[in-house]
Amino acid sequence: MDGVNRWRSLIVFLLVAITVSACHEKNDSHTLKIGLAEEPRTLNVWLASDANSRKVLSLIYQPLYVHDPETLDLVPWLAESMPAYDAQSLSYTVTLREARWSDGTPFTSRDVAFTGNLIQAFKVPRYASNWRFIDRIDTPNAHTVVFFLKQPMAAFLSGTLATPIVQEKEWSGISKKAKTTEKPLASLINHRMKYPVGTGPFTLVQWRQGAYLHLRKNPHFFGNGKIINGRTMGPFVDDLVYSVYGTSDVAILALKKGDIDMFWWPVQPGYISDLSRQKKIRLYTNEKSALYFMGFNLRRPPFSDAALRRAVAYTIDKDFIVSRILQGQGTKMFSVVPAENRFWCCTALPRYGDGWTREDRLKAAYQVLVDAGYSWTVPPVDAAGNLQPAREIRLPGGQPMGRFTILTPPADYDPHRATSGLMIQEWLRELGLPAYARPMSFSSLLDQVKGHHDFDAFILGYGRLRLDPDYVRNLFHSDNDRSRGWNMSGYHNPTFDELADRSTSEMNPFKRQALVMEMQRLIARDLPYIPLYKPSVVEAVRTDRFDGWVEMLEGIGNIWSMVQVKPVNDDGA
Amino acid sequence: MGLKRFIFRRLVEIAVIFFVIMTVLFVLFRLAPGDPVSRMVDPSMTPEDARLLMASMGLDQPVWTQYLYYLKNAATGNMGVSFHYGQPVSHILMNRLPNTILLFTTSIILSALLGVFLGKIAAWKQGERTDTLMTIGALFCHTLFLPWLALIMIWFFAYWVGWFPITGMVSPDVWIDPEAGFVVKALDVLHHMALPLMTLIMIHFGSYLLVMRSSMLETLKDDYILTARAKGLDEKTIRDHHAAPNAALPVVTSVGLSLAFSINGGALTETVFTWPGLGRELVFSVSHADYPLAQAAFLLIAIVVLLANLVVDVLYAYLDPRIRY
Repeated sequence: MDGVNRWRSLIVFLLVAITVSACHEKNDSHTLKIGLAEEPRTLNVWLASDANSRKVLSLIYQPLYVHDPETLDLVPWLAESMPAYDAQSLSYTVTLREARWSDGTPFTSRDVAFTGNLIQAFKVPRYASNWRFIDRIDTPNAHTVVFFLKQPMAAFLSGTLATPIVQEKEWSGISKKAKTTEKPLASLINHRMKYPVGTGPFTLVQWRQGAYLHLRKNPHFFGNGKIINGRTMGPFVDDLVYSVYGTSDVAILALKKGDIDMFWWPVQPGYISDLSRQKKIRLYTNEKSALYFMGFNLRRPPFSDAALRRAVAYTIDKDFIVSRILQGQGTKMFSVVPAENRFWCCTALPRYGDGWTREDRLKAAYQVLVDAGYSWTVPPVDAAGNLQPAREIRLPGGQPMGRFTILTPPADYDPHRATSGLMIQEWLRELGLPAYARPMSFSSLLDQVKGHHDFDAFILGYGRLRLDPDYVRNLFHSDNDRSRGWNMSGYHNPTFDELADRSTSEMNPFKRQALVMEMQRLIARDLPYIPLYKPSVVEAVRTDRFDGWVEMLEGIGNIWSMVQVKPVNDDGA
Repeated sequence: MGLKRFIFRRLVEIAVIFFVIMTVLFVLFRLAPGDPVSRMVDPSMTPEDARLLMASMGLDQPVWTQYLYYLKNAATGNMGVSFHYGQPVSHILMNRLPNTILLFTTSIILSALLGVFLGKIAAWKQGERTDTLMTIGALFCHTLFLPWLALIMIWFFAYWVGWFPITGMVSPDVWIDPEAGFVVKALDVLHHMALPLMTLIMIHFGSYLLVMRSSMLETLKDDYILTARAKGLDEKTIRDHHAAPNAALPVVTSVGLSLAFSINGGALTETVFTWPGLGRELVFSVSHADYPLAQAAFLLIAIVVLLANLVVDVLYAYLDPRIRY
């Protein structure tokens, strides 16, 4: 055989071999395949701050209580019933369910106490703030935990009790070793978890980094076959496989081809019309617990003036932003608390020109500014009441208003916020305001706004707000007006501070609700932030293999879905 | 100057340049706005939480102290712990590097072989239709926008025709199957590699073709080719055994440096094909201000490129007897 023939034979062999490997098939009717946009960061629950890690870990580590998908009320999960509050001793008693860890050992109150003590001892970021007011944790028996609070703290129910519980057996050695190091917290959060032991519906089989994660049904899952919160618990799938897709384009192709059953990432508006035409794909649209807003620097002119902020609020056409920029995949916001968070959201707030025509909005904004003492060389509204191109606005003191910038993330990071900034710039110029939208890298923006407070206005957003409204306090309390503090606008209002302080320690939910509503009214009046919109979560799944997805705030990717999804041809298992 | 003395001098130069690169990298990342923690916090976290996170990463220390730790760790081969993954940087790089080398080294070698082969034919048939078609084809492929080409390849070959997997390096179905043996898994990797490889070859072979063609045209004017013809050697022997080996020298330099740079992968290729390599990690670490990972990745690229330059210089002397140090 000569050289050419040898090469030909080798190429033919490789092609045949690859074709054979491509035909490798396995019965995977009970394997749910999920596409992720990025690889999870870690399997260490204390380091996992990214959404993708939580998509895996939320199926392994479980909290005592979870939120009902419809009402968003807390429902017992690892706990058997709602906690019993004793006002006299300032304690909550929680009775635990019969449950086992994925290694077969029993889940007990010691595990809960251990988790709390570990968080307190290491001051684990993200969790510590929900545990620092716990005085001590008693475990009178294996199924009872008593939390004694140092002071009344409203965040206990939705914060502390929603903490994932880790196994004492697994973590005691890790924590002991971490305490002996120079940096205990770093050692703890950087500990490499290969096979986390949890109480959840799934357990990890293998994580092949850069390729996939394989989870299998946990035979010891406490809910298996039981009815919890009126729902029959699974899981009804045997295996879960997460694959990573570098771009949405290829993930969508994989979904259409049937390589994956679900793409666990919001579908961008550009893909929606194509996907909605696919017979075997269903789109789910749900609301997001999010807040996208325009913020102002109240520490310096011109936005130290509330009248100017109100005038800006009148000029912003939120209908345009939602219908044109978000292409209908979003909702207008009027409060800093999303409307879907029904218990805490105040709906009786000023709406500043919502639904009005452009002309009416501009005239209202003009009137606010005139009343506050602003003047123009050429005003935006002439003597006959008609709109005209405005020129040279002057501050109430008579000096010309200097140009100001609206900082936004760049379009490649978030096209919605970048485009909204440009539109707001144009609307403000119609009023004669020298506004300049300036997209800048996200890190630079945070540095300038949060670190140095060197800005006029900005557009930012929070994509994952917790249901507990304590963040309203964090965002606007004057104590948090410091470098890298959450009060980026520099809002100072003693009345707000007093209400916010009371709201954190008010244990009666209805009294707390009244306080939180009043806080929202103050924010809507003073406008350190103008809430703009929140995007919807559109998710795509195939319908030919699995169904039973449970919709809730933030979409169908939730613990309820994962224990209820079942193969379409399953006899009910 | 002897070869040994030349190598020693170059190694000293490399050490100095490497130190400068280390320092520049450190300074550049600290000058960049933002910090690694700002992306990890949300309004439910207190400033104290953020401070603790900063301290856990060693960012609460003065910059000079951080720099000294950085130098000390680098001297002992410890590149630190990734802020994002919480894992030793060396572990992450070693996990990603083989994937990048596998894809990009293969693509460079195959591109070069194809480019040299077609380049020598184009030069041999200078001015003919074959030469024109090959030159235009090479220029066309070389100027294609890689992400666009990659998406088209995926759409056509993976989605429409269904010959190849859409992206990734392995099929979970195959790898989680306990019955799948080594051969099946290896073939699965090859199957996944085919599409990115085809794309990279399409983009890169053109530059080698053009270099080879140009070099070959120069070589064909040399006296020894005339001598070979005068000796009555057949055209194929003159082309393949006399002209081509000498004309391929510039391609060797180009391939050497491309191989060195290949370890940074191609962020675009790796992203579109979801190839778990170093390029994607590099971009990710820079955008997330993961200083230890980004610094280590750049340093790895720097040292490989510096050493590759040295190897190419030495190799040149070996391949071309006229060159002596």
